[in-house]
Parts: sequence; structure tokens; C-alpha cells
Amino acid sequence: MLKGFGNFLLKELKELIRDPKILLGMVIVPLIMFPILGAIMNFAMEAAQETAAKVTVLVVDHDAGDNSTEFINYLKKYSINIPETSFSSINEAIGKLAYYNATGVIEIPEDFSQRISARENVTIKVYSLFSSTGLFEGAGVSIIESLVEQFNRDVAPDLVIPEKSVIVKGQVAEGVDPRTLSSLMLSQAIAMPITIMILLSYSMQIAATSVAMEKEEKTLETLLTLPMDRFAILMGKLSGSIIVAAIGAVAYMVGFNYYMSSFMATIPIGANVDLVSLGLVPSLLGYLLLGLSLFVTLLSALALAVIVSAFAEDVRGAQAIVGNIYPLIFIPSLLLMYLDVNALPTALRIFIYAIPFSHPIIAAKAVTMGDNLTAALGVVYVAAFTIVIMYIASRLFATEKILTAKLKFRGLGRRRKAVVEEIS
Amino acid sequence: METRDVVKVFGVIHALDGLTFHVNHGEIFGLIGPNGAGKTTALRVISTLLLPTSGTVKVFDLDVVNNADEVRRIITYLPEEAGAYRNLSGWEYLQFMANFNTKNKRDAQEMVREAAEITGLGERLRDKTKTYSKGMKRRLLVARALMTKPKLAVLDEPTSGLDVLHAYHVREIIKRYVKEHGVTVLLSSHNMLEVEHLCDRVALLNKGKIVAEGKPQELKEAYKSANLEEVFAKVVGLA
Repeated sequence: MLKGFGNFLLKELKELIRDPKILLGMVIVPLIMFPILGAIMNFAMEAAQETAAKVTVLVVDHDAGDNSTEFINYLKKYSINIPETSFSSINEAIGKLAYYNATGVIEIPEDFSQRISARENVTIKVYSLFSSTGLFEGAGVSIIESLVEQFNRDVAPDLVIPEKSVIVKGQVAEGVDPRTLSSLMLSQAIAMPITIMILLSYSMQIAATSVAMEKEEKTLETLLTLPMDRFAILMGKLSGSIIVAAIGAVAYMVGFNYYMSSFMATIPIGANVDLVSLGLVPSLLGYLLLGLSLFVTLLSALALAVIVSAFAEDVRGAQAIVGNIYPLIFIPSLLLMYLDVNALPTALRIFIYAIPFSHPIIAAKAVTMGDNLTAALGVVYVAAFTIVIMYIASRLFATEKILTAKLKFRGLGRRRKAVVEEIS
Repeated sequence: METRDVVKVFGVIHALDGLTFHVNHGEIFGLIGPNGAGKTTALRVISTLLLPTSGTVKVFDLDVVNNADEVRRIITYLPEEAGAYRNLSGWEYLQFMANFNTKNKRDAQEMVREAAEITGLGERLRDKTKTYSKGMKRRLLVARALMTKPKLAVLDEPTSGLDVLHAYHVREIIKRYVKEHGVTVLLSSHNMLEVEHLCDRVALLNKGKIVAEGKPQELKEAYKSANLEEVFAKVVGLA
């Protein structure tokens, strides 16, 4: 046994465990955060699965014969909701997708009944609406596919062949497998939540550490007595953190891109899908909105980090306090990595929208789908939040609170003692 | 500089309890007292860091609450046990501080040159401050506080924690600078013997109040004491 080890370890544990910030950040928050995160994920997955299971499709029945009717009834029997079958063209059905809240269109050719009766192969077209990048995107088309297989087994042995296509932004993209497209988009959609998690947590640590360092080294006291604008101190802290975080983010994105491309190259089917021709890349305005969303979110996170770190007395305390904000970054990032915000139950959706750190992720998905309005509204919301936070931060720097603010965990008696120490 | 009936309350504690004293132009004035007497709080209020709960503080006729920006232009403040930016060199630190006080590059360079001379650190100024000893760092910070030739330099425990030689060097810097440039210095210390040698006048602070004030020699004579330590003990009733 190492001489003195036990005694030293005991001291170390007392020091760490008695620090309320460490206890809160390292023990209590994970104990609360992960069960909550698990419950939310579970709840969200179940809700999304439930939504995905309720498949509504429209049918363009060019045949309108006995066999096509039998096929439609077969689908209905297995809880596929088919509200209308009387469309004359695929474009007419596409126009009604939003009205019926449908996720796809099945087009039955006019010789369907004739070919089934003659025991000949017949191709039906299954168009899947691509509207988001959730994990269950394309679940509807999978259900239809398996029902067609079942129909082939039960009624028409291997006669019906489904030909899959996608509908992107109201246009049919022939021959594009919805699941290939979905997984390709999903792999891209993962990048933003991961970026947000790393960029925000990293830059918040930088900002909090830099404020705490000024307090710990007492350089802040000197700064506050200099002939300079106190708002300039705040802006300097924020700008410095943004620049360092941006460099970090670029390095991260380059590395992550390499990582993604290293295994994306092994998925040849993905290469057949040209996202540009499908219109699944953001417009210039979309990119601008995305950049703006990322910027205001970063600014709000940094300002928040500066505020909370003002309550710490040293670097360790600041990092522990900032750690308490991480659940608000991780929950939306992990949730929106696999699920579309619209697939979430209403209460959870409101919660996610209320968290400012969700918005760059929502914006990334929205601008890809051409929905610039959602991204713009997100920017407005986060900008308003940022203004409020910046105002609080600037007030904090303008007053003595920046020096005297402290988290009070102690009892009254011990607090008196702490105040005496402070004024000496 | 003068304070009048200054009260500063933290929660239930009266850190300053009717503090009244004045410092004459061009003198070195020492606030002395034990730990917890309120010295740091008094200096922080005078330096515009803390707002007084009541009372007034004027620095060259400028109110520290209503004219805080103007006050900051004519004072410098050196906190107790302050650090410098660890990854800046001594030169860079002085340059950084000088740039807040003048927009003229030549003036800034002159300030830095003068500060460099005051520090006596020579080539070591090119090294990062994290490599400095406590004494070297303190010399750098004292030089920073004096290089702008402030009307009032507020120095909190300027020699605290320094060895005899470094403390001597710092005291010499302060004395010389006041003589050469007519700077008014307000400093705090719990080392009463040191203050006796350095200050023109002193005020003894206890529990947020001035309990005695005057020239060290006058105080010693008035209380029939050999040094200020004894004076303090007699004033607060310990001896």
C-alpha cells in the first residue's frame, strides 16, 4: 500500500464531494438528466412509431377493375387508410397529399385486373412523399411493400411488382428509392446535431472559463476600474469565444466530413441519388438563414455561459455550473438527430421549440426542404432570446454583481462567515 | 480624495460603518487594520468597483457613483494578490494596459518603456507572465498601476506575500514615483510596520470604522507607543 494514499484520498473525496457545484454537475444532473432523456426518447419513439404506423395513401386507380378493387380492399384490411381512389392522374393525387395528410400515392395501371387474371406480372408504382429526415421516414412505404408481398403470397403469387419512387417538393423523382434517400439525408442530418452539441458545449466552456479565470486571477477587478466601456469587456469575451469556437467548429467539420465520407463511399446506392437535382440542398437564402441561426444560437449560449459563470468563484466552479446547461443542448440534439420535430407529441414539440439550442437543427432540416419560413421564425425567436440574455449579461457587467454574485448553497450561519471572508 | 459617512452592507454584515477620511494631494496614505476590518471593501468602493450603500466618496471632486467613468480615467487600482494574463509576456501585458489609457502610439510606448524601467525585470519582460515568481509579478503590476501617472493610485496590500527584498523594491518604486510625479497614493496593509516607513499619514480601520488617524509619528506620540502595532492594540482596547 502506498504510504499516505488512504489519508490523501479521503481528503480528496471530501474536497470534491463537499463542493456543491461538483455534486450538482457531476452527480445530480446526470442522475436526473439521463432518466429524463431516456423517458423523452422512449416517449418520442413510441409516438413517432405510432404516427408512422398510421399510413394514409392515395390511390390512382386507372384500372378500376375487380382485381384492383380487391387489392385496395386488401390494403384497407391491414389498416392502410385510403381516403380516395378516384384520381385521374398522379399529379392530381400529389396535389391532394397535404389535404389528406397522406404520405404516399399508389398508381395502379389500367391493365392490372387483366394481367392478374392472366397470371402475368404487373407493375404498380408506389410514390413516397419525402418530407423530413426522421428515423421513421419511409416507414409507410415499407409497410406497403410488405403488404404487396403478402398480397402476392395470399392472392396473386408473385405477380405484383412495386416500383418505388419519391415525391420531393411536389415533384416525382422516378426510380429513387425512398429508403436510400432517407438514409442518405439522415446521415447528413446527424451532422448538425453533433456540430451543435460539440460547438455549443465547447464554446460555453471557453466563455465560462475565460470569465472565471479573470475572477480567479483578479484581472477582472483591474479591468473594471480601467477607462473602458464595460460592455466592451462582455463583447470582447463573447467575440473571442466565438472566434475560437468557430476555428474549432471548422476543424471539427473538416474532420467529421472526412469521417462521414470514409464510410459513405462504401454505400454505392447513395451515390445514385443526386440531391441537387432533387432540390434537397438549401437555397442561398436557406444557407444564409442557417448561418444566421447558428450565429444567434452561439451568441445566446455564450452570453448564458458568461452570466452563469459570473456566479462562480473559480474556473472549476464555472465549468461545473455551465455543465448544468448541457441537458438543454443534448436533449434536442439527440432527439432531433433521429426524429423530425413534427413527428413529436405536441407538448414535447413545444418544449423543443422553446429551447433556443434546438433551432439550428430545426433550421438545417427546414432549409433543406425549402421551408425557409420555419428557419426565419427560429432566427427571430433565438435573436429575441439572445437580446434578453445579452441585456442581462450587460447589466451584470455594469454593476457590482459581476464581482459579488455567488451561488448560495450554504446555511445562514456559514454564509455570515463567508461574507466576513469576502470583505476582509 | 475624501469619503464621508460611507456605509457598505453585505447581507447582514456592515463591512463599512460610517467611514470618513480624506487624503491630501501628493501624499501616501495608508489604511491599516486587521483582516476583516473593511480595508479591501473601502478601496473597492473608492475604485468604483462597489457601490456604497450610503455616504459619499469623492476623488478630485468627482463622485465615484455619479461620475464613475471620469473617476476611472484618473485612478488606477491594484487588487490584492492580482495576477497578470498568464499567456501574455510582461511587455504585452503592459502594452495591453497602456492602450486603454492613450490612443497615441508614442505615448503608449513611452508608458510601457517607463513601466519596464520601474519593474527592473529587464529581458524577463519578454517571457510569459506565468513563468514569473510572485515578486516579479507584483513588480509588474505595481509598474502597471503607476505607469499612467494617475492622479490617485489605489493599492491593496501592495507588498502582501512578498519576501523582504521584493517588498523593499516595491516600496521603493512607490516612494520614488510619488516624489517624481506627484501621484497621490492610497494603500492598504495589515503590515503596520511597513506602513509606518512608507506612508505620510495613516488611518487605523477596525470593524468598518476609522478608529485613529494621523501621521505615524503623531500617533505613536499620542498613544505613547513604540510602533503602530502598539497604537492599534491600544486603540481597540487590546493593550
